[in-house]
Amino acid sequence: MIFEFLFALPAISIIIGAIYLMLLSHNKNITLNDFNHISLFFLTIALIFEIVILDKNMSGYLFVDIFGHNFKLDAFATIFDLMFTAGAILTLLINSDYFKSRTYFRGEYFALILFSVFGMMMLSHANELVTAFIALEIASLSVYALVGFHKTKTTSSEAMMKYMILGSMTGAFFMLGTALIYGAVGSTSLENIAIYVNSTQVEDMNLLIVGASFLLVTIMFKIGAVPFHSWVVDVYYGAPYPITMFMASTFKIAIFAIALRLYITDFEPINYIWTEMLQTITILTLIGGSFLAISQTKVKRMLAGSSLVHSGYLLIGLSSIGLGSELGAAAIMFYLIAYFLSAAGSFGILSFIGSQSKRDMSYDDFKGFARRRPYMALMMSIFMLSLAGFPSTIGFLGKFYIFTSAIESGQILLAGLGIITAFISVYYYFKLIAMMYFYPDDSKQKKFPIDASTIMIALMAIIVILGGIGTSLISFFPSADTFIESAKLAISSLK
Amino acid sequence: MQNILSTIIFLPLGVAVVLAIFRAPLHILKAGAIFSSLGTLLLVSLLTLSFNPDIGMQFSVTAPWIVNAGITYKVGVDYLSLVLLLLITILMPLLYLYMLKEHRKGYWYNMMLLQTGVTGAVLSLDLVLFYLFWETMLLPIFVMIGKYGSGNKEYNSMKIVLMTILGSMSMLFSILYLGYVYFETTGVWSFALSDLSTLEFNAQTSIWLTAGFLLAFVIKIPLVGFHTWMAPAYGSAPTPAVVIMSAIMAKLGIYGIWRFGYGLFDNTLTYYAPTIIILALLGLIYYAIRAIKEDNLRKMFAYSSGSHLSLIALGLFLTNIYAWGGSLYFIATHALASAGIFMMIGLTYHKFKTLKISELGGIASAAPLFTFFFAFFALSIAGLPGTGGFVGELLIIIGAFKESFIIGIFTALTMLSAMVYIFWMLQRTLFGEPNDGVEYKDLTRKETLMLIPLVILLLVSGIMPSLFMPYLEPQLSIDLSTLLLSIGDIK
Repeated sequence: MIFEFLFALPAISIIIGAIYLMLLSHNKNITLNDFNHISLFFLTIALIFEIVILDKNMSGYLFVDIFGHNFKLDAFATIFDLMFTAGAILTLLINSDYFKSRTYFRGEYFALILFSVFGMMMLSHANELVTAFIALEIASLSVYALVGFHKTKTTSSEAMMKYMILGSMTGAFFMLGTALIYGAVGSTSLENIAIYVNSTQVEDMNLLIVGASFLLVTIMFKIGAVPFHSWVVDVYYGAPYPITMFMASTFKIAIFAIALRLYITDFEPINYIWTEMLQTITILTLIGGSFLAISQTKVKRMLAGSSLVHSGYLLIGLSSIGLGSELGAAAIMFYLIAYFLSAAGSFGILSFIGSQSKRDMSYDDFKGFARRRPYMALMMSIFMLSLAGFPSTIGFLGKFYIFTSAIESGQILLAGLGIITAFISVYYYFKLIAMMYFYPDDSKQKKFPIDASTIMIALMAIIVILGGIGTSLISFFPSADTFIESAKLAISSLK
Repeated sequence: MQNILSTIIFLPLGVAVVLAIFRAPLHILKAGAIFSSLGTLLLVSLLTLSFNPDIGMQFSVTAPWIVNAGITYKVGVDYLSLVLLLLITILMPLLYLYMLKEHRKGYWYNMMLLQTGVTGAVLSLDLVLFYLFWETMLLPIFVMIGKYGSGNKEYNSMKIVLMTILGSMSMLFSILYLGYVYFETTGVWSFALSDLSTLEFNAQTSIWLTAGFLLAFVIKIPLVGFHTWMAPAYGSAPTPAVVIMSAIMAKLGIYGIWRFGYGLFDNTLTYYAPTIIILALLGLIYYAIRAIKEDNLRKMFAYSSGSHLSLIALGLFLTNIYAWGGSLYFIATHALASAGIFMMIGLTYHKFKTLKISELGGIASAAPLFTFFFAFFALSIAGLPGTGGFVGELLIIIGAFKESFIIGIFTALTMLSAMVYIFWMLQRTLFGEPNDGVEYKDLTRKETLMLIPLVILLLVSGIMPSLFMPYLEPQLSIDLSTLLLSIGDIK
């Protein structure tokens, strides 16, 4: 019991923090800085405990007496928890200047971030569909509110309404799917579903298959796969920078936690059924995302569009699993880690710049950036190279694994399409590098000071490089192998 | 001696990183860059002295790198890499001498990164490692054209990056496929060239995989049809970048076909040979015509460089000992000559503020030293007897006649057409009426010093090819006979 309590501590710490912050938020005497420190305190506690329990190769359930088999404990969930917490910490640390520069931020902002982290953690542990739905809604509702946080700005409110209405509607699909699966299986527990799937002929499972397809609709919507993508660019653009960073780097990953758990464990015997559907969606997402990203003039919108393309790569991995690839699952996991690092870094830099100026940040605003802030420009270039999959960054190894898994499962053409879109992505990522380095400085902005935000971003950039070329010969640094092994550990704990 | 190759690769990068961390002032930065180039020159000289021409790959080092993916750090050197390695390390100090007055720090950092990139690509024997260096050497070029170039530099740098990456992406696809097939047959992951070359494919797969590699190399050379990046990039790039692009990077395309093309798909390359030979022949003529019509000196020699690289590619695909020997020899001598001529063009702009042939004229009477060097390098590009270029071209032409009379005639025509455009250009720039608007200055002592080593090397290689051939010949003929044997299998 005490031992299990240790495993619950990260989530407990975060929910206590969230409630505490919510209660405090009406107190006018507490400054935003204090709120930031309080939330960072709770998140750091959670992070420490997650690192501690990562080594204890635990598999089992959380408080069986209370929750039954609803919450699963395994390395898979812990690694996801680690990413969520790290994502939230990065969001708060990098943006510690941002909310001071805007008047609309209030204490609830921090409470909502912690609530959504809590929701995501529940989601990664969820071993039951209704629990998963509740967790998903906790995270989503917090994010809806965060997106619309800038109440007086029309694009922000529009983004919130768009996201909330579409999101709630697709949330209903999840509920409907759960109901259909319950109709077929007689239970919503993932284990019972797995037993049912294993013991039933495919021809007799129509109800379950339809139900599971509905679940898939929700998942596709949340990761922004084409044709469920119409919200992505507007919402990412309308939301305040810290929220965009949080959504793109952290929230998107959370969806893959439940998607992988369902797809790899429960529907494993029948997941070939969705392969053609997934392949179609992948092709649409890769092409549509590339078009969206290539046609933008604002960097934030470009990154939003390109995040679709990255969803496309992850979907390649998903359909590879369906075709029997052994690498696929670990490839997705590794790509998630790689994408998390590079996306958090690049959006982090954007919001850091956003905290210093009120510019719209089109490509042109980046002209001469390297002259104003050479180190920041260097780090931005590293993140761009990583997103483009340039070798010597972690993003290259991510693509390396995804494409190898596609080849392994025989999806040669899909791998080819992935390579082509990666080539197109070189254009829009390199365009930003070109803007930063090749043009003279025409603005009269002052230089920024070095602070905690800069150090965090620099740390991320170093990890991105080490994750790409770091060798296991130098044991005390994280290397490419460290990340690959943690990805493999996560996947092996699922089975 | 164990880690000599790794030191040669990473010395410039290491120096650059250390200097960048300590934010070295300009004069220390310059000293560091020159130190790194002289250091590698010294190491490569040591390497050459202990190089044994009778065995193949030597000084090999294998170390685990990304263990989970079977990617190793594997480097080694043989006669082919040694030629390119020598060229790189000889050219770098001369280039630093050329840009001694350069005060923009980024310029120096980029050159050091570039040296590590090209050296690594020449020495790596693991395909992923090769891909890493192959891409890495593009970044400094991208920055140098885009930031320090001239003309429509942003557009042109984007163009060269996109076209080159299109090629390398297709190569990446082939590499991944090869790695996977190796995993499927043996159960372990490996991307080492020596492992992957043992694989057998059916004809259809092999043709596609080869195409992936060839696209990357053919764009880099570039053969005609894949050349649209070339003239704009050469026109916009600053002189040191042009020298590296023409003298080293273009040759790396040939090197790639030689090492990885013939190493992995010797049979399939014969399937592509007619296409490549026709492209090369077309290129010889097309580039020559463009060079004749071109008014911008740098672009003219860009086209001339394309024409001669087509000749080298042609020699490589003719697969007989004359053509191969000629190609290898011409790689080296053309690199030296084009480095020389592009440096001279850089000096031309520096001194006379124009690159247009029509605006120059009458240099000979005002600047005799300049005229000598300019004419010497231009003529050795054209293949003047007595310079190294002549030996290489002659061997390739002999090889071509051995293969077929028609190819031989076409090949010989390039030598003549090169004579035409080079002599016509010389006549219009060096001789004729002096342009009153231009002030003529002769070479300084420093500039002469930096050009003399190239002249000596070109003369020695032209007059005494027997000095170098014993180093190249034994393994070259072994490689060729192995190749002919394995091609003979399917015929």
